[in-house]
Amino acid sequence: MQRFVGAVLILLATGSAGILYGIEQQCYLEKLLYIRHIVYMLKGELDYAGIPLGEVFGRVAVRVKEPYRRWLHNLEKQVEKREEDGFFKIWMRSVDNYLKELHLKSEHSIQLKELGTYLGKMDSVSESRNLQLYIDRLELEIEKVREGLASKKRIGNCLGIMGGLFLIVVLI
Amino acid sequence: MREDGKRQQIFRILARGIRTVLEREHLDFNELQEIRLRIGKPLMIVYKNTELIIPKETAEKHLVTKDELRETLDYISHYSMYAYESEIRQGFITIEGGHRVGMTGKVILEKDRIKNMQYISSVNIRVAHEVIGCGNRVLPFLTKNKEICHTLIISPPRCGKTTLIRDLIRQISNGNTYVKGCTVGVVDERSELGGCHMGIAQNDMGIRTDILDCCPKADGMILLIRSMAPRVLAVDEIGGEEETRAIEYAMQCGCKLLASVHGTDLDEICGKPGLSRLTEQRRFERYVVLNNQKDPGAVHAIYDEWGNVLCRDL
Repeated sequence: MQRFVGAVLILLATGSAGILYGIEQQCYLEKLLYIRHIVYMLKGELDYAGIPLGEVFGRVAVRVKEPYRRWLHNLEKQVEKREEDGFFKIWMRSVDNYLKELHLKSEHSIQLKELGTYLGKMDSVSESRNLQLYIDRLELEIEKVREGLASKKRIGNCLGIMGGLFLIVVLI
Repeated sequence: MREDGKRQQIFRILARGIRTVLEREHLDFNELQEIRLRIGKPLMIVYKNTELIIPKETAEKHLVTKDELRETLDYISHYSMYAYESEIRQGFITIEGGHRVGMTGKVILEKDRIKNMQYISSVNIRVAHEVIGCGNRVLPFLTKNKEICHTLIISPPRCGKTTLIRDLIRQISNGNTYVKGCTVGVVDERSELGGCHMGIAQNDMGIRTDILDCCPKADGMILLIRSMAPRVLAVDEIGGEEETRAIEYAMQCGCKLLASVHGTDLDEICGKPGLSRLTEQRRFERYVVLNNQKDPGAVHAIYDEWGNVLCRDL
């Protein structure tokens, strides 16, 4: 009886790990979708009002959830302080400090940081195009993640159960 | 505005290197008029009506670098040059506190019109000075039956016309012995009068003042008449044909006009296209001519609509 209960528990644990892996992949996709949503809002504010970056971040910050809200509020504060030589430094630091809990893949993190090097320098048309360019690149990444999501979920589930069975065979 | 507030506003937009040099000079910012930055040239200021090369005590002067100018522009624009495109097209940006930052560089043209400016190499920061009460001596000559007359302030640059018009607006809006307080509509195309930051005036403009910030003067005057029903309309630095037409319209609507224009005397204004029509029709009831022979803001003369001198050298 004990062996049976143990086997069930192992199977449950490894199966849940597989499901969790799938949920994590889904969450990652949602994070990318949310970043896209934020950049769209930034672009919208910029196109519509043509206001300075600090105000743009402030206006968007009140409409988004944590940790993005803290990130944007910090950006607003740093821009208003005007103590850093160059906006990209503020952007890089804030991405590192406030979005690290998102655990973005390095390529996605680099792309997001790169956006900061283009912001605030040119005319409003180029500014808007740069944001659009980033959105387009992000769309591609989202598509890639979405395409792989179903198979990753399936693999996660299967591996969880198979791993559990393997452990049961080895241990029992 | 308090001296430390002004100091903070100016220091916030300066590159750290320049800030450090100026901090060592222990300047009174109420006496500071201009800061001039030119790439590769010494840092200059106009202080107590005198031009100084900084640091003033040492022989080795501070040369402004390209990076310092770029850093200053970043701070001036809140790292957002794109947001100031229309201002840069005009050659200057007005910052928090109403200080004006003029700039020159390489102009980008599009269809023979100025589109933008790049390679900015010179910056001139003109410190705004709010002088509460500077209109006290002038106001009694500008009123009839406790109502303000249509008034045109004529002045060359740097003679204090914006400072005077700002104080007159405040007094008319609040009301005093000479004038009954009334609603004043201000079209502040370059944010110099109110020094608005995010729509809020940084200067004291009175309790009955409505400010239309960053709006072209001609459109703004008509918009204010329709929307806010001002008793007095105030505009700074008029000149264009469209603006004079809007002034005529406003006068016909029953608004009193308080305006300023660049010029040295009444004869010069009578020769300007557009404005000459208004002077011929005796639309303006008072002309205040300023000069800075004694001090900035010194009143050379006040004339009535017929060109008679009401007072001299106030």
